[in-house]
Amino acid sequence: MRILAYFKVTPDYEALRESEWSAAAGRVPSSGGGEGTSRGPSADGGAGPGRGEHAGPADGVDTRYVRRILDCFDESALEIALRLSDALVGRGRAAGLGALSIGAPGAEPHLKTLLALGFERAARVHTEAALDFAPAATAALIAAYAGRIDRSDLLVLGARSSPGGGGTVPFRVAEQLGWPCLTQVTEVEPLADGRLRVTLMGDDGLQRLTARTPCVLAVGNAVVSHLRVPTLTDRLAVRDRQPDVLEPADLGVDLADVLRREGPSLAALEGIDRHREGVLIAGDTPRAKAQALFDARLKSLLEEL
Amino acid sequence: MPLSREAIVEGLQRIVEPGDVVTDEQILVESSVDNFRKLQNIFNVHTMPVPAAVVMARSTEKVVELLRFADEHGVNVIPRTGATATEGGLESAVADSVIIDGSAMNEIVSIDAYNMQATCQCGVPLQVLEDRVRELGLTTGHSPQSKPVAHMGGLVATRSIGQFSTLYGGIEDMVVGLEAVFPGGQVTRIKNVPRRAAGPDIRHVVIGNEGALCFITEVTVKLFPYFPENNTFLGWTLKDMATGFAVLRDVMVNGYKPSVARVYDPGDAGLHFSHFAAEDDCVLLFMAEGAAGIAKATAEGIQAIVDKHPECTQVPSEYIETWFNDLCWDASKITAEDERIRQTRNVNRTTEISADWSSINDIYQAARARIIAEIPDITMMGGHSSHSYINGTNMYFNYFFNVVDVGPEEETSKYYLPIIGIICEETLKRGGSIVHHHGMGKARAPWVKDEYGSSYYVLETLKHAFDPNGIMNKGTIIPL
Amino acid sequence: MRFTVVMDGTSAGAADGTPAGAGEGTADRTADGPSGGIHRRAAALGAFLRDGLKSDSAGASRGAIDAQLAGDTLVFYSDERAKDRLVALAPTRDVRLVRIEARRPERMAALLSARAEGGQTDLFLFAGGPAGTELATRLACRSGGQALSEVLSAETAPDRLSCRRSIYSGHLTGRFELSARPWCVAVDPSWADAGGSETVAHTIVSAIDETGGGGPDPFEDRERMEAPSSEDLAGSSFVVVAGSGAGDRQGVRRIAAAAREMGATFGVTRPVAMNAWAPMDRLIGVSGARTAPALCIVAGASGAPAFFWGIERASLIVAVNTDEHAPIVGEADLVLLDDAVAVLEELAAIVAAEREKR
Repeated sequence: MRILAYFKVTPDYEALRESEWSAAAGRVPSSGGGEGTSRGPSADGGAGPGRGEHAGPADGVDTRYVRRILDCFDESALEIALRLSDALVGRGRAAGLGALSIGAPGAEPHLKTLLALGFERAARVHTEAALDFAPAATAALIAAYAGRIDRSDLLVLGARSSPGGGGTVPFRVAEQLGWPCLTQVTEVEPLADGRLRVTLMGDDGLQRLTARTPCVLAVGNAVVSHLRVPTLTDRLAVRDRQPDVLEPADLGVDLADVLRREGPSLAALEGIDRHREGVLIAGDTPRAKAQALFDARLKSLLEEL
Repeated sequence: MPLSREAIVEGLQRIVEPGDVVTDEQILVESSVDNFRKLQNIFNVHTMPVPAAVVMARSTEKVVELLRFADEHGVNVIPRTGATATEGGLESAVADSVIIDGSAMNEIVSIDAYNMQATCQCGVPLQVLEDRVRELGLTTGHSPQSKPVAHMGGLVATRSIGQFSTLYGGIEDMVVGLEAVFPGGQVTRIKNVPRRAAGPDIRHVVIGNEGALCFITEVTVKLFPYFPENNTFLGWTLKDMATGFAVLRDVMVNGYKPSVARVYDPGDAGLHFSHFAAEDDCVLLFMAEGAAGIAKATAEGIQAIVDKHPECTQVPSEYIETWFNDLCWDASKITAEDERIRQTRNVNRTTEISADWSSINDIYQAARARIIAEIPDITMMGGHSSHSYINGTNMYFNYFFNVVDVGPEEETSKYYLPIIGIICEETLKRGGSIVHHHGMGKARAPWVKDEYGSSYYVLETLKHAFDPNGIMNKGTIIPL
Repeated sequence: MRFTVVMDGTSAGAADGTPAGAGEGTADRTADGPSGGIHRRAAALGAFLRDGLKSDSAGASRGAIDAQLAGDTLVFYSDERAKDRLVALAPTRDVRLVRIEARRPERMAALLSARAEGGQTDLFLFAGGPAGTELATRLACRSGGQALSEVLSAETAPDRLSCRRSIYSGHLTGRFELSARPWCVAVDPSWADAGGSETVAHTIVSAIDETGGGGPDPFEDRERMEAPSSEDLAGSSFVVVAGSGAGDRQGVRRIAAAAREMGATFGVTRPVAMNAWAPMDRLIGVSGARTAPALCIVAGASGAPAFFWGIERASLIVAVNTDEHAPIVGEADLVLLDDAVAVLEELAAIVAAEREKR
């Protein structure tokens, strides 16, 4: 089985301060959230390393100065792919494991980590354009790589990304490859005959079913949420291996053209007003506070409910 | 004849309200360890002797009675407040220990904005005190990573240091007076004065005693004006630690007092700064704070010093500011880290030492090289210097390893203690101190005689004098 | 502007091979139960048509589209016995019936795509959730249209559809513009709580049997493990949420017990679920359920945006937290600064005592 795991490296949005979000509200991102959003950090403090993957403040949310992390559902997907590969190897079946990311060089250290963890292939499709709100372009690149370059027969990826969160990329990839797709996957186990037993949390609740490859598995709220860590010895063993870097054209994708047709386009960012009164219920003890809350509002409210 | 567990519990129940004697089995086993053996709590596999009870002390008077009871019956006592210790200081080394928990003594007694000092009971969380004094435009100047969860009593008991120590000093520079209870039930109050020369400074018998001499019930700390609007951040990347230490020395020797002055090695920098530092980059960073003129002069002075080192490449200050704003460990970060360990069995540990400028880089290089060569399953071995002085600095070793082929309860014996051993050996060999700010706890107690040399006489005499029956936190600072 | 509501009344099929929701044994839980999935999905579509979809096509006079007349409902179903119940749930007068063997997203997308070719439909509306998102996306890919999922509101203009949805894990709302038709929109599942649509007299416009045309199911040996999760959360009028301020698994359990005692539905924040302190199906927030209770007690959660998204429609939010600087303090109507477990247990005792009295 030739497994490909796709992952995205995102800014650590939770490390952004509330003021950054309110500053972003009202901004109009550049069209499609696609081209023109790459810009190096401002050089006020001297020569920044200008990695070119940062969306400048005028374009949307200013994430230039926060660290980059694996997008959480993709991290689950990478570990689930590794465990699946381990289980297949344990049953004497070859499991060629590959990893793919798209974007600027920010993903490079993660790809090297994956090589150290035993991924046989690691590739980055280089784009300067930010594809956070370009699911069709993202899917076109993943599908082209999986289908034409990697010739994978199982794609594992996160069900949704942190910035966009629409959860459409897995289905778009499936459409392009002509594969079936399962989303909100929480567990994958290999069966003796090469099929996969998949657990997922669907509209009808938790279910288990059997899938044949090729297929797309999009990982949701899995209990497995952290990627294992390679030792320094593991890293040393792959010191001389570099991830493959491909251009969209290498995959036969005219990215500019795909982005021109990308839609829906993100037209504006709006803030969310979460403010409420926050009236303090006082009391000397937890009991007194609970009683005050009950007397003030809960008694009548609970009677209505 | 030692008391049975039941007799200990009954004795405690006669002193405090029955509800204040906690005997819930799960709480007791979880209280048998601190963060030194945190894997025992994360994986719920416990090997340490289970304490007889956790008793909540709600006043100095209750602490007096509790210590008297323990002293009379030879019951081992472990004082604690926020329970964030990392070096085994709160671990129960012997059976049927009693944990005296001061976290309910959480009253801020006074905030004196004229005399610039605040008095609070031992169980006041530092964050609570800091938030209160910030409302008055003041700060304690103390900001350890554990600020959201640590309490004042424990911070003083372990000689804590904060991230702004280069300007404000460690907790020992902040404590002006305190109240503590000694084993026989003797209450000691050291008054709050600017300075004294009336004999030895006995505050230092209490500060850093780690619950091995007395129970701290109240502390008074200095306050400082707070000017966050003047905070200025500076950062550089560079290729080797020797240069970083040299720059830190230049800054200190030239008399500048930045609140934060740090140099990270490439491994440690990779955890925080990989979005702007290359894989083999060290990161040098500073924060200048204080009144406008001081902050400006400090930042300019540091800039001029680093400018003389062309091998340092400046980065936008926003990188440092953003990092700074997300520095402390609150409960949710600790929870998330525990879960990461549970899933990956990849454990993060730290060990901090100090040494003079001549030795620090040698200790860093030697310890790092030996750990990588001698200890299996290391996934990251790095560190940073974060507290500098005129005569030297600290090294905060930060390392990760996978726990392989052994149960989580064996993590300390297979990995953690051997690493601590290497760091202690390399530090002692070069005349440094094996503990910079976490406290000795029980983890580094085996090296106490090497650390103290001939001055161990003073330590041993203190212990015998104040705790003649040896009931105070057995195994802490001085090994069993 | 013409729209088509797509109602998926099929089922993925149960372990015994009968489509769930059709067989008598499972009917109550899925197709027919008062809080069952199809009811909620239909309610979401009806409410969205009534309140979520605005038009400016009539010049200056904006207003709700005449939901019952301007569009039709296409009902996919598998079991004849379920058909009438499904038709009754349709939010438009005109109903088109398409029968297929079981839920086959690719087959359904192909049938919808064929219908889209006619060009009579500008907007296809799908219920939220993974299945609706899949159909909307696959249809857009096949028909050259554009898809957007988890849509909170939409406004039509002659040349585009402007939609709002949550982005950046609940930190912001994004306004998206759909240009190329058909617009394939999956509505946010939380619309199900906005009250169902009025009863409509239905006209069956067409009924097609497409069984036998689907090819083999790519997925086999389906086994249902648990009833639909988190729907009790979404539909609940009283929710208690535990955050990591509960301290540990034991604290979470105690809050859950207090919630049960008070008759509240219990939920947790993502950190609590990720710590395996509570099952994943109790998750509230961007990656879990979005609730709209009359009363929500938030016990020991800081109020991060990704979580707050899941409770922001609560009528009354009560925060119990030891940290007076936590964001939730400014996001709640009433605040109790204290230990979450202690307060919740006291509250449960008070509620229980009050119940005894009556």
